[in-house]
Amino acid sequence: MSAVSPPAPPTVLHAQATEFTTPMRAVERRIGLLFAGTGIGLVVGMGVLGLIMRLTQATVIGLSPAWFYRVLTLHGVGMITGALLAMMGALWYVLNTTVPLRPGRMLAAYCLVGAGAVAVLVATMVGGFGASWTFLPPLPFYPAGQWPVWSESVFFIGNLLVGTGFSVFCVDVLEQTTTRYGGLTRTLGWQYLRGREQDAPPPQVIAATVVAIDGLLAGAVGMAVVTGLLGRTYDHSVGIDALVTKNLVYFFGHSIANLAIYLGAAVVYVIIPRYAGRPYHTSKVFVAGWAGSLIFIVTAYSHHLYMDFVQPSWAQVISEATSYGALIPVAVITIYSMTMLVWGSRYRWTLASTLFYVGLSGWAIGGVGAVIDSLIPFNFRLHNTVWVVAHFHTYELLTVVVWILAFLAHVIERDAGRTASRAARAWIVGLILVGGYGFTGTWFVAGALGIPRRYAIQPAGTIGYSVVGASFALLLALGFLLYFIQLAPLARTAWNRRHFALVDHTDGWTGRHYEARVPRAEVDAAIADAPELPRRGLPLETRAQFGFAVAACVVGLAAFFPQVVDASEVSDRYHHLDHAGHFFFGAILGLLLASLPTISRRLGDRRSLGLAAALLAPMAMMLMMVPRIYEPLETNPFHHALFHVAMAAFGFVTGVGVTRLGLVTGRVMFILAVGMPLMFAAAFK
Amino acid sequence: MNLHYGDPQIAIGVTFAVLALLLACAFVVIAAQAGTEVSQERVHQVGYWLRKRWLALLLVVGMVVVGISFFDLPYATGGTTGRTVVKVTGGQFFWALQPDRVPAGTHVRFDVSSVDVNHGFGLYDPHGHLIGSVQAMPGYHNELDLTLKSAGIYEIRCFEFCGLHHSTMDGQFTVTKS
Repeated sequence: MSAVSPPAPPTVLHAQATEFTTPMRAVERRIGLLFAGTGIGLVVGMGVLGLIMRLTQATVIGLSPAWFYRVLTLHGVGMITGALLAMMGALWYVLNTTVPLRPGRMLAAYCLVGAGAVAVLVATMVGGFGASWTFLPPLPFYPAGQWPVWSESVFFIGNLLVGTGFSVFCVDVLEQTTTRYGGLTRTLGWQYLRGREQDAPPPQVIAATVVAIDGLLAGAVGMAVVTGLLGRTYDHSVGIDALVTKNLVYFFGHSIANLAIYLGAAVVYVIIPRYAGRPYHTSKVFVAGWAGSLIFIVTAYSHHLYMDFVQPSWAQVISEATSYGALIPVAVITIYSMTMLVWGSRYRWTLASTLFYVGLSGWAIGGVGAVIDSLIPFNFRLHNTVWVVAHFHTYELLTVVVWILAFLAHVIERDAGRTASRAARAWIVGLILVGGYGFTGTWFVAGALGIPRRYAIQPAGTIGYSVVGASFALLLALGFLLYFIQLAPLARTAWNRRHFALVDHTDGWTGRHYEARVPRAEVDAAIADAPELPRRGLPLETRAQFGFAVAACVVGLAAFFPQVVDASEVSDRYHHLDHAGHFFFGAILGLLLASLPTISRRLGDRRSLGLAAALLAPMAMMLMMVPRIYEPLETNPFHHALFHVAMAAFGFVTGVGVTRLGLVTGRVMFILAVGMPLMFAAAFK
Repeated sequence: MNLHYGDPQIAIGVTFAVLALLLACAFVVIAAQAGTEVSQERVHQVGYWLRKRWLALLLVVGMVVVGISFFDLPYATGGTTGRTVVKVTGGQFFWALQPDRVPAGTHVRFDVSSVDVNHGFGLYDPHGHLIGSVQAMPGYHNELDLTLKSAGIYEIRCFEFCGLHHSTMDGQFTVTKS
C-alpha cells in the first residue's frame, strides 16, 4: 500500500486565495456546521410556518386567528433565533483563525439559545401564547382568553435564555478580541484611525467587536425588560409604562434581529475575498464606518416609535437622522467594498459565492425600502403596513438567510472540492431571486396600498395580494429545496473526503494496481478549548480609578439613608430606583475590592464563574424587585433593611464577577449590570 | 370599503421601484464584469475615486431629504384653539370616538389613547386612501392634527397588533357636508 493521498486543495476557491486563506480546522468546521445546521433547521421550519400564514391570508387554508397568532409569534422569535444562531456559527468559523475563541463558551451559548427556542415553542404551540415576537407590554397580560399565565412565564424565560446565550457569545468575542489586540480602542482600530498605530486588526475582528458590544447592550436591555415582565406574571400589581417598555422591547428585539445581518457582514469580509482572490484589508474609512455603526445599530430601533407622538420630538429627530446614518457605512463600506472586490477579479462562481453575492443585493434593495420608511412623513403613511414586512423580509430573507445558505455551502464545497453544476446553480439562484423578490415585492405593493400588517384576515378586496405573495413564496421554497437537493451529494463527497483517503493498492493474487478507499487518520485536532489568552488587567487599575470608585461607593451609600428610603416610598418607580441604588452600591464595592491585586490573586482566574455572576445576579435582583416580595417585608424595619442589604449583596456578587472578565469586558459588563435595574425602575411602576 | 392607492403612496412606491431597479442593474453589471480581469491597482484607482463621490452623494441626499422631512412632521403642535378635539379610545377590540362626526373642513385634533393594550389608529378617507396612523397607548395621549376636507365615512383600522381580533378591529368616523 502506498502513501495516503494529500488533502484536497481548495479547488472551489479562487486560485490566488490560497495566499491568504487559512486551512479549515475540525473545530471551526464542527462549530460552524453545528450552529449553521441548527439555525437552518429553525429557519426552514419557521419558513414553512410563514408560508402557512401567507396561505391563510390568501384563504387557501383555514387557520383560525388564534392559531395564526400563535404561529406568527413562533415564526418571529424562531426566525430571529435561527438566523442569529447560524450567523454566530459563521462568525466563529471566520474569527477563530485570527482570534482564538472558546468552544466551551460557544457550546454554552448554543445550549442556552436552544433551550430558549424550545421554551418559546412550548409557550406558543402548547400554551397558546400569541402576543407576537414584539410582545409589546402590556399585551402579554391581556390574552383575550387565549393563553394561560404559565405560557407567559415560559415565553419570557425563553426570551431570557436566548438573550443570555447571545450575551455569552458576545462576552467571549469581546473578551478575546480586546485581549488579543490590547484594549478596546486598538481592537476597534481607533488608534490606527488617529494615526497612533501603523496597523489595525482585520475587518472581521473590528466588525465582530462592534457586534459584541451592541449585542451585550441589547442583551442587557432585553434582560431588564423581560425580567420585569416575568415578575409581572407572578405579581399582577406591577405597573407597566407602555412607552418606556416599548422603547426597551424594540431596543432589544430590533437590535438582535439587526445584529444577525452585521454578523453576516463580518463573515463576508473573509469569505468573498476567497472567491475574488483579493484580500480585504482594514482602512481608515472602514474603521470610521464601523465606529458609526457602533452607534447606529442601537439607535435604529427608535424608528419603531415614530407614531408614538408622546416620544420626545428631539428623540424622533435624532432617530430619523441616525436611521438614515445607518445606511452610510453599509452602503459605502460593506456593499460597495465587496462589489469593488468582485469587479474584474475573475470571481469564482460557485453555489456559495453566488449566494454571498446575491445576499449583498438583498441588503441594498431592502435597505432602500427601510430608508424610505425611516423618513417620518413617509412613515406616517407606511407605519405598520405590510411595507415594513416587505423591507425587513428583503434583507432578513434575501440577505441573512441567503448568506446562511451560502455559508453552509462554502464549508461543504470546500471539503468536497467541487461545486454544484452550472445549471443547478442557475436554477437555485433564479428561483430564490424570482421567488424572493416576488414574495417581498408583493408586500411592498400591498404596503403602498395601506394594508396593515399582522392581519389574520385581510381587508376586503385585498386577498389577491396574498395569493400572489404565496405563489412567489412557493417558488422560493422550491429554490431552497433544490439547494438542499444539490447540497446533499456535495455533503456526501465532503464527508468521504474528510473520512476516507484513496490509496494505491496492489492485489496480492493478481498483482493488479487499483485505488482503495481507507479511513483517513484524523488530521485535525478534536474540539478542545483554545489556549487561553492571558487576561489583560482588571477593571480598576490606577489610583485615580480606585479613588473614583471609592467616591462612587460613598454616593451609592446614600441609597441606604433613612431619609432617602422614606422619600422613595412616594411611588413604586422611586422605590425601585432606590433598590437600584442599593445594587449599585454593592456592585461598586465588589468591583473595588475584587480589583485590589491581593484579593484578585486570591479569587483566581474564574472567568466562567465571573460571567455567570455578572449575568445571573442582576437578573435575580430584578426578579425579587416586585411588590409581592418586598411589600410584606416593609412592615418590619429589620426585614426591610435586610431586603436592601440583599439588593446590595446581589450587586456585590455582580461587581466581583465582572472583575474576572478583564479590563474591557469587565467594565462593559459592570456598566450594563448597574444599568439594568435603572431601566427596570423606569419601565415598571 | 375597498382600499385605493393614495398619491403620496404612489410616489413612494415609484421612487422605491426606480431605486431598486437601478441597484439591481448595478449588481447585474458588476456580476457580468466579475468574469473579466482588471488589475487590482486599476480597480482601487477607479473604485476609491468613485467611492468618495458615492459617499458625498449619500451625505448630500441625506441632508436634503432628512432636512426637508423635518418640515412635514405629523406631530401636533400648539393648543386646541380653532380645533375640534375628538377623543379616540381604543380597546380590545373596539374604537370609541367622541364626537364621532364633524363637518367637512374642520380642523380636528384626534386625542388618541387606549384602555388596555397598544393599538394603532389608522385612518382611511372615504375614497379608501390611507391618510396615516398614530399609536393608541395605555396611559398616554397621542395627538394628531388633521383637516378633513372630504365629506363621507372615514374608516378606522387597528395598526398595532393587539390580540385575537386585531384584524377585525375597525370603526368609523363621519365627516358631514359643511
